[in-house]
Amino acid sequence: MEKVRFFLEQTITYKILTLFLSHVKDFLEIFGTISYRFFQVLKYLCTLQINYKQVIEQSSRFAVDSLPITLSIVIMTSVILSMQISPELVKQGGKDFIGLLIALTMVREIGVIMSGFAIISMIGSSQASELATMKVTEQIDAMKSLKVSPFKYLFLPRVIAGVITMPFVVVIASACGIIAGGLTSMAAGKDVTWLCYVTSVWQGLYIRDINIMLFKSACIGGAISLISSSCGYEAKGGAKGVGNATTKAVVLSFVAIVIIDCIFAIAFYI
Amino acid sequence: MPIKVENLTKEFNGRKVLNNISFEVATGEILSIVGFSGSGKSTVLKILSGLLEKDSGNITIDEGDIAMVFQYSALFDSLNVFDNISFALQERKEYKHKYTKMQLKEIVAKSLATVGLSGIEDKFPYELSGGMQKRVSLARAIVTKPAFILYDEPTAGLDPVASTVIEDYILRLRDETKATSIVVTHQMSTITRCSDKVIMLYDGNIVFRGTPEELCKGETPYTKQFITASTQGPMKIAASGLI
Ligand SMILES: Nc1ncnc2c1ncn2[C@@H]1O[C@H](COP(=O)(O)OP(=O)(O)OP(=O)(O)O)[C@@H](O)[C@H]1O
Ligand SMILES: [Mg+2]
Repeated sequence: MEKVRFFLEQTITYKILTLFLSHVKDFLEIFGTISYRFFQVLKYLCTLQINYKQVIEQSSRFAVDSLPITLSIVIMTSVILSMQISPELVKQGGKDFIGLLIALTMVREIGVIMSGFAIISMIGSSQASELATMKVTEQIDAMKSLKVSPFKYLFLPRVIAGVITMPFVVVIASACGIIAGGLTSMAAGKDVTWLCYVTSVWQGLYIRDINIMLFKSACIGGAISLISSSCGYEAKGGAKGVGNATTKAVVLSFVAIVIIDCIFAIAFYI
Repeated sequence: MPIKVENLTKEFNGRKVLNNISFEVATGEILSIVGFSGSGKSTVLKILSGLLEKDSGNITIDEGDIAMVFQYSALFDSLNVFDNISFALQERKEYKHKYTKMQLKEIVAKSLATVGLSGIEDKFPYELSGGMQKRVSLARAIVTKPAFILYDEPTAGLDPVASTVIEDYILRLRDETKATSIVVTHQMSTITRCSDKVIMLYDGNIVFRGTPEELCKGETPYTKQFITASTQGPMKIAASGLI
């Protein structure tokens, strides 16, 4: 029996299977932690136990750190999009729809999603690695021993900052994206004037879409901070633990963004 | 007794790091815990300060703040020395808004002076040497005048003079605030100068308890091996999980 077991444990299938199972277990664990943290956030919010000073500091960090990369990614996407569709639409006689198309895609989809990806790489990863480092170097323990709740001081302000700052970032990025799209279409498509672009943008902007965009970006901002901070907070075991936590935070945040986007699309546009 | 520990047991991954440990500390007393690396000294302190859960046993600690000086300092590296030391006074509920900025500055300057590091308020932890970080973390832990202080190797990595400064400080703090302290240390000078009682941990058990003088006499096989730092004797490094 022992021999059979020993032999089995040497096979590749066994190794792959156990590795896979351990990943599944890891995932379920972190999913459980994130849900737990989510309810903890709600509890602290309902009882108004908020460290406002930290919220302001984290929000300004969130905005300042994320704006350059977010702006450049959203603007580049818009420029590329406009470069490809403008000549085609002009050829088909639809130059009055360029602005509408760009505004719709920006507001409904690209503005939020691209900003989300930029913010994961800029803010999410730094939040995860910062908290993870604090965890493995016992700084979080030290905070507890000074009777200051690390959750209230570190965790909650980051999540709140994500919820309130992300909509601002997305609005600025989308607006810049729409302007950049217009300039590109004027350069790329013949006969496209600024006036005709702006008029067409106006037709594509709906208050409802903008409201949904704000709501969606608040959810995504909160989710990124929640996931990244949770992963950082659960880190253990030295530099490798910090690396693992950061990877986990980035991957899970990407998945979360897509899921949230999907939920919003189903809830509001079907 | 203000600190009383009975039959404390703690396992990590099936290995009993602490096995039915009992000891007590009287008010204003300083207890030293010595023992090999990996014998569970830090674990005892972390359980006492509530950072780790015990597996079984009884711990009773009187009312009062418990402060801990961490083995690797654990300074907040995004905050400067001033904010590190005044952290509890700035962020803890009962102290928040109690002091003005000027008062905080005064308190911090005073506590920095007592650990021999005046004028480094604006420096960040990465700009300090290991020994300086250690002393800042000591200043941070005791800024709230706690009733219980747990020191995890407060003099490790310090030069002899700085060690003496810290030892004097531990004694003075005890005399001034009647704080009850537990000091984990490897350093003979800290044991003999600071402590009233000593316990030695080995392989999850207390293998010696007595006064520093009794430890120095080296009458039992354990104490003899400890003070002569010999590899020959009842204590094997392998048992402390190092090999
Ligand atoms: N979080 C943990 N998970 C698993 N094992 C741990 C953990 N913390 C400590 N240990 C184990 O418990 C034992 C005691 O650790 P502890 O840090 O208390 O030792 P120590 O006596 O303070 O050693 P040193 O003098 O080197 O600081 C070690 O063998 C260590 O491997
Ligand atoms: Mg230790």
